[in-house]
Amino acid sequence: MKKHIFTKIFIGLTVLFFYLPIVYTVIFSFNSSRSLSVFGGFSLQWYQKMFKNSDMMDSIFYTIIIAVLATIISTIAGTVTAIGLSKSNKVLRGITEQVNNLPIMNPDIVTAIGLLMLFSSLAVTKGFMTLLLSHIMFCIPYVILSVMPKLRSLDPNITDAALDLGCTPLQALTKVIVPQITSGIFAGALIAFTMSFDDFVISYFVTGSGVNNISIMIYTMSKRINPSINALSTVIIGIITTVLLILNITPIILEKRKEKMKK
Amino acid sequence: MKSFKSMAYPYIIWSIFLIVLPMLLIVIYAFTKEGNSVINIQFTLENFARFFSDKVFFNVLKRSFFIAVATTIICILLGYPLAYVTARMKPKSQIVMVFMVTIPTWINMLVRTYAWRGILDKSGILNSLLGLFGIGPVQFLETGFAVILGMVYNFLPFMVLQIYNSLSKMDYSYIEAASDLGADRLHTFLRVTLPLSIPGVISGITLVFLPAVSSFFIPKLLGGGQYVLIGNVIENQFLTSGDWGFGSAISLIMAIIIIISMHITKKLDKDPSSEGGKL
Amino acid sequence: MNKLIQFKNIVKEFDSQIVLKSINLDIYENEFVTLLGPSGCGKTTLLRILGGFLEPNEGEVLFDGVSILGIPPYKREINTVFQKYALFPHLNVYDNIAFGLKIKKEPKDIIEQKVMRMLRLVGLEEYKKRRVTEMSGGQQQRVAIARALVNEPKVLLLDEPLGALDLKLRKEMQRELKRIQKEVGITFIFVTHDQEEALTMSDKIVVMKNGEIQQIGSPTDIYNEPVNRYVANFIGESNIIEGIMPEDYKVIFEDRLFDCVDSGFEKNEAVDVVIRPEDIDIVPVKEGKLTGTVKSVLFKGVHYETIVETKTGTAITVAMTVSDPKPVQNMSADESMSANDFYIDITDIPELTNAEIIARADAQAWKTSTEELVSITKVDYEVKAEKGSYPVTFSTSAGTMTTIHMIVADENKVEEGNEVIYAVNIYKTIDDIKESMVLETDLKTWANAQAWTADGETGIAITDVDYDFDQDNITTGTYSITFSTRGYEYKIDTTEKYEAGDKVGLDFAPDDLHIMSREGNP
Repeated sequence: MKKHIFTKIFIGLTVLFFYLPIVYTVIFSFNSSRSLSVFGGFSLQWYQKMFKNSDMMDSIFYTIIIAVLATIISTIAGTVTAIGLSKSNKVLRGITEQVNNLPIMNPDIVTAIGLLMLFSSLAVTKGFMTLLLSHIMFCIPYVILSVMPKLRSLDPNITDAALDLGCTPLQALTKVIVPQITSGIFAGALIAFTMSFDDFVISYFVTGSGVNNISIMIYTMSKRINPSINALSTVIIGIITTVLLILNITPIILEKRKEKMKK
Repeated sequence: MKSFKSMAYPYIIWSIFLIVLPMLLIVIYAFTKEGNSVINIQFTLENFARFFSDKVFFNVLKRSFFIAVATTIICILLGYPLAYVTARMKPKSQIVMVFMVTIPTWINMLVRTYAWRGILDKSGILNSLLGLFGIGPVQFLETGFAVILGMVYNFLPFMVLQIYNSLSKMDYSYIEAASDLGADRLHTFLRVTLPLSIPGVISGITLVFLPAVSSFFIPKLLGGGQYVLIGNVIENQFLTSGDWGFGSAISLIMAIIIIISMHITKKLDKDPSSEGGKL
Repeated sequence: MNKLIQFKNIVKEFDSQIVLKSINLDIYENEFVTLLGPSGCGKTTLLRILGGFLEPNEGEVLFDGVSILGIPPYKREINTVFQKYALFPHLNVYDNIAFGLKIKKEPKDIIEQKVMRMLRLVGLEEYKKRRVTEMSGGQQQRVAIARALVNEPKVLLLDEPLGALDLKLRKEMQRELKRIQKEVGITFIFVTHDQEEALTMSDKIVVMKNGEIQQIGSPTDIYNEPVNRYVANFIGESNIIEGIMPEDYKVIFEDRLFDCVDSGFEKNEAVDVVIRPEDIDIVPVKEGKLTGTVKSVLFKGVHYETIVETKTGTAITVAMTVSDPKPVQNMSADESMSANDFYIDITDIPELTNAEIIARADAQAWKTSTEELVSITKVDYEVKAEKGSYPVTFSTSAGTMTTIHMIVADENKVEEGNEVIYAVNIYKTIDDIKESMVLETDLKTWANAQAWTADGETGIAITDVDYDFDQDNITTGTYSITFSTRGYEYKIDTTEKYEAGDKVGLDFAPDDLHIMSREGNP
């Protein structure tokens, strides 16, 4: 019994540890004073300041637009590549998978300086395009990584069966292969989205011309205590929590609807 | 199916330009002088010599390594019990618990790290709490404590999830077999569960040590200017002093340290069983 | 011999589903006991209760006369060989076997001695340093046995340990297991669903079904004297015929009286008669106690499995009117349509649907030029539940239509013994017959042929379709089709090869007949 209580306290403390900063941020974004420890009353002043600050608003815009574009492009590219690789010979697939793992295994900062030097050597002006390219570059490997296992578990004869039954290769792809790997594609897209949405290190090195995302914003503004950051953070927490809730609740609702249909 | 195979070709070309080429550039810059004009490239070890001859840099390296190791150990000590407790829960509670651990990782690291500044500040809530007991105010920020706390906070979920995965996937019949052969709960844990979960711990270590040793925004946000780690030095070389050759050399050194550390960790995993074979 | 283990009224439920219903079982010292039954019969559950991995909801487990409920597995003098062996992948062969001894903190030299003895017992001396993951299934199996036996348990539990091995290896391990059991001289409790495995190895077999014990006995008892149809079917091949016992030592089946050696049934009790395939001899027709026709012969390696039918099943004959009509053409819509008249039972009228009518009439519409099928969108008809002929009109959305007749008739059925067989007369076109790729199946579908037990509870397969026309050269006219069910069939093992169609006699001795109570009332 004692053991049981000890376990509960331990779990409670770790959960507190994980959520304290998040709860803290949300609460103090509504603080009417500048204080870090005393809640002076409810106020929306930091949100007003945030909305008036065009740099902050731009960063939210860029973060979302980059994340959406990078997710769409990398999901399509990654899925196409994974399907291609699954039909390629072992050597080519092995090498490509190794190269593909580099950005995942490398510390972000190494990937970042590599890209920085690449863009500078080619005399590309750093800005929106370099940021987007870099995000696509580090997102694709995650998509491939989550689609590959699904492809591997497919019956190797399934494509041949589709062709045998009269599908063109394109139909075999869209009607037989893709439907069976959708869960992998969605998982890949989700990882790509959050990777891009939350990225700081690579974005920080490859961007320029005043194109900043939220992470860079927080990093550069953090030199002084600035409660507007709490407001900005709360917006991010809100967006991500909503996305997660939708993703986790939708399947449950769909399931229930199906059950009702059956009845 | 030739037409399917060719679907991989565009990405292969893409990855040569955006993955392989940048890596090559780092190596080239690390070993050359006057890299800014292509014709004058000369092989040199100057960048490496400079790093190891300057005590300041070497101390930064030592400190980064120490911080990363400390972070990793703390993550194991906290993460293993949490993963173990989770894996022994009812299936439904397990899902909830895993979800609870995962959610924070979806939220921007900078956002969560920045929050700790408010908590740890001299006038922050932690110090006001301590004040109630007549302690402090304690200087938390700009110390190694704050940096390690920030890293543990950010990377602990990775450790927990890796260990949890290996524990929950473990075939329950191993535990039954141990029990059948006379092992009580403690012995079952020490001789079967723990050794079988080591692969999970190892991948947890990879996921914690690697970002910890290269992180530069956690020391910047929580350590202030006082607590410089190797990541900060690299950042400075590229974004402030513009010395790409030196910066590349430092990242190579860091990469080599990571590779060596990982190699040692993996060896530690294999050793016990090969020793066992000598009986 | 001592009763080593006693299960008393064991009941086990999972999520309010009863897996074991009041199990009573005694197991003696040095016995090789097999729990035999299909998956889900509760045999593994019973084993796990004994191993200490599960607690029963009710009942008592005695070990040497003392209750062991509540004692954790690690304190029981019982060891288990797990289904997929559960060898510890992080330990090598030696350390896996030494595991239990190390836990008990036995001295190193003793451990070494005992482990080496076990390795010798299972014939793996050369492999002690091998990683278990690098070993074959059979070798892993031996390690698992050694790992359990080294602890010197009083009982060894084996949970389908041979399931993962291929046939040849399985046979080898069966002999090996039996040898090991004799050598170490302890009780083995073995769980399997393989009846042959049970018969070859066991001293005692416990046949289980749905959480209940059906029969306990030696392999010969169980094989020769199964208590019911279930056991007879599960153990070995057998012919089971329904019969009646008019008095002791007499049994009637196939309307004849035979001598037998069983007694103790009530007068005129309905019974099942078991005759094993190897106990029947094929003799000339005149000498046979029963006569029949050879239906099929299968070569089984050492012998032929000959199926002899002594009585044909229930049959029904229907008429098929074959015509050669031209499809209706609708030039303007480029559509054609065809359909046949059809018969239907009065009793089927209330449940009639459009889809059913389209299927029965075999109504089809298609594009005349491309032969692409067009869907029939409308079915117009009026029908009463009275005998007679009713017009049905099919039409497509483009207006193509055709009218046929639906003929409502009394149910056409034949009732014989315990079976009823139904079928209706049919109208077909020459093309329908010629184009059929699975003619017998199509005939069954068209004629809606079905057979049931007299109580209407269970369907019976229609096994034979006889017809008096040639599919490829059929002309218009009326043909008869006969559908029939299987009659009495005997499976007989013979060394001689007979041809299908041979008329033969069957002979058997009184002691070849084994009489059982009907299942359900033992």
